[in-house]
Amino acid sequence: MARGLAIGDTYSKVSDLFSVYEWVMIVVAVLVYGAVFYAVLRYRRRGDEYRRGTDKRTITESIYALVLTAIAITLFTLTYRTEGRIDPVAAKGGVRVDIVAFQWQWQFGYPDFGKTVLGKQDQPATLVVPVGTLIRFDGVSRDVIHSFWVPAERFKRDEFPGTHTKFDLTFDRVGTYIGRCAEFCGLHHTDMDFFVKVVQRTEFDRWVKT
Amino acid sequence: MSVATLPRTAGLVGWIASTDHKRIGARVATYSFGFFLVGGVFALLMRTELARPGLQVVSRDTYNELFTMHGSVMFFLVMTPLALALGMYLVPLQIGAVDIAWPRLALVGDWLIPSGGFTMLMGFATNHGAAKSGWTAFAPLSDITRSPGYGQDLWIVGAVLATLGAYALAVSILVTVIRFRAPGMTMLRLPVFTWSMVVTVLMVIASFPALVIALALLFVDRHFDSEIFAGAGGATVYQHLFWFYGHPVVYVIFFPFVGAVGEVVATFSRRRFFGYHALVLSLLVFTALSMSVWAHHMFATGRVTNQYFSLTSTLLAVPAGVEYFDLIGTMIGGAIVFSSAMLFAIGFILLFLIGGLTGIIVASPPIDYHVHDTFFVVGHFHYTIFAGSLFGFFAGVYYWFPKATGRLLREGLGKLHFALYFVGANVTFFPMFIAGWEGMPRRVADYKPIHDLSLVNLISSIGSGVLALGTLVFVWNVWVSMRRPVLAGNDPWEGQTLEWWTTSPPPRHNFDSLPPVKSYAPLYDRRMGET
Repeated sequence: MARGLAIGDTYSKVSDLFSVYEWVMIVVAVLVYGAVFYAVLRYRRRGDEYRRGTDKRTITESIYALVLTAIAITLFTLTYRTEGRIDPVAAKGGVRVDIVAFQWQWQFGYPDFGKTVLGKQDQPATLVVPVGTLIRFDGVSRDVIHSFWVPAERFKRDEFPGTHTKFDLTFDRVGTYIGRCAEFCGLHHTDMDFFVKVVQRTEFDRWVKT
Repeated sequence: MSVATLPRTAGLVGWIASTDHKRIGARVATYSFGFFLVGGVFALLMRTELARPGLQVVSRDTYNELFTMHGSVMFFLVMTPLALALGMYLVPLQIGAVDIAWPRLALVGDWLIPSGGFTMLMGFATNHGAAKSGWTAFAPLSDITRSPGYGQDLWIVGAVLATLGAYALAVSILVTVIRFRAPGMTMLRLPVFTWSMVVTVLMVIASFPALVIALALLFVDRHFDSEIFAGAGGATVYQHLFWFYGHPVVYVIFFPFVGAVGEVVATFSRRRFFGYHALVLSLLVFTALSMSVWAHHMFATGRVTNQYFSLTSTLLAVPAGVEYFDLIGTMIGGAIVFSSAMLFAIGFILLFLIGGLTGIIVASPPIDYHVHDTFFVVGHFHYTIFAGSLFGFFAGVYYWFPKATGRLLREGLGKLHFALYFVGANVTFFPMFIAGWEGMPRRVADYKPIHDLSLVNLISSIGSGVLALGTLVFVWNVWVSMRRPVLAGNDPWEGQTLEWWTTSPPPRHNFDSLPPVKSYAPLYDRRMGET
């Protein structure tokens, strides 16, 4: 699967984990396909025979099931460790951003700077963040469930009405990235986009005061 | 009830009111296939809209109705009833029973399902159109403010009716297996398909009530201001109730087709099913696990214990792997005949694997944070349900059609059908993985012409046309085979289980005599001179 450009910390962690899964799955698929093609080519019917094979191989199958369990537990352990590095949220530091999602726009607030960005029709909201800085998000929805998704960061989190969702992200590469609502939210769900603009700290400080 | 007193109903009354389990099974399968064509047309309309960026064919509103009804029709009216229809028809035959248990209950279930279907589809005739909050109808999007109009209400009533109907069929099948087995047919001599039905109906009985409760409460919320699903807590509770049904149901629409593939693989490898006891155990483990994975649909909510549901979901690889071991183990050492049924079974093994392996990927919460609610997931579950379950269903159709009708389907057309489906499924569903990974959410009528989204969507839309063509070939095959019959005889494939002992189609009372049952493959034993 295409890697794209790493834009942040979460991106790297998810990509590392995914490439492990990807390789395990490719190896499994090659083995299974190999077995099927071997069976199909080697054991086609040639005469009128009716086969009297072994009906079971309990020991082989038990060992095989144990190997599968070991693979599953290994993958789960990697997942567990990665999730342990993505889910926790910091109590202080960085830049705070309040997300308000509603049908069918985004609003981004900077409580430390008293600034708010509101999306309008044909002019999606742009979330401006300083590069290489911890961004502490606090999201909520005003109506139905929405989901804050930045594909380039490989991360999304649902925004529920009436309760706040917290998560941290870091963006390590200057540039503009698309963000989308991922949870179906009604008529204009298709158009509920936003932009993430990652800028240098000095530029952010200048922008946030305007 | 003695054989002589079994009611025999003919004509129009027989067609609509017969309690013969074979009539019920055939009826459910027939109208479900009709609904399959309806849901397929919805899918084709969506793929046509998505072939190019921009809105060309339908409006956003119509598109939202289309994907809602596509999912609803395929789950409630096609795959679930088809799974139970196979069981209704075959379980009594496979266990040597005269009839189904509680046939009138089964008849009620039989008619509740299409009643629900028509109720649901009637939404298109209302002012606000059909339901458009997704087949999941998440609160609060599905409340009266955000989803006004009767379309959503008709959807609720229709889904409840169809679910209750499926429940009635399931109860009838389970009681049949427990009470009506022929002499010698112990539980560990049940054919592979019958075992797959046993675990299927156990899941139906355990999980379907959760949906009925969720939708009943949703209905109350919509009309009596009860605010049960209001706020974050309510919205989360709805998802728990929905997925407590919504995950087991994907195994309900999977296991019977694994069972069908198992029978087909054994018969056309011309040997007994390999690893029977391991398969039975794996089905039971699978069933137990299937009841404890539901919240893996909720990783991105941040409101469930992701680690627990990730562990249970990842462990599903173990029983699934055992099933693969047994299926391929049956082929190795066999004498494989490449009939249409066997081709669909091999197609199932090859393509379901892609759905299963991507399932392990989305069972990892950090990866799911990215791919959840995107076309990646759409690709994943179409590989499981279309390229898996539906391929298994067609393997079963080519295998058992001669038993049910006394006529063989045309093998040439069957192979053409398989080729179109095999190519079409990959061309349609594989590009979806790329679209989702690159940033295309699911349930969107349009996408921006960025990344490679335009190309992958166009390829996917072309593939859906190939699938439509394959479906037409199948319909033509049934038509030709019924009009110009090639008689099948009792046992055209040299089958191994009891349904091949009786005539095709079987008489009202199923069997005039029964062979001794000493294993899960009594006719194989007899052919090998072991009984």
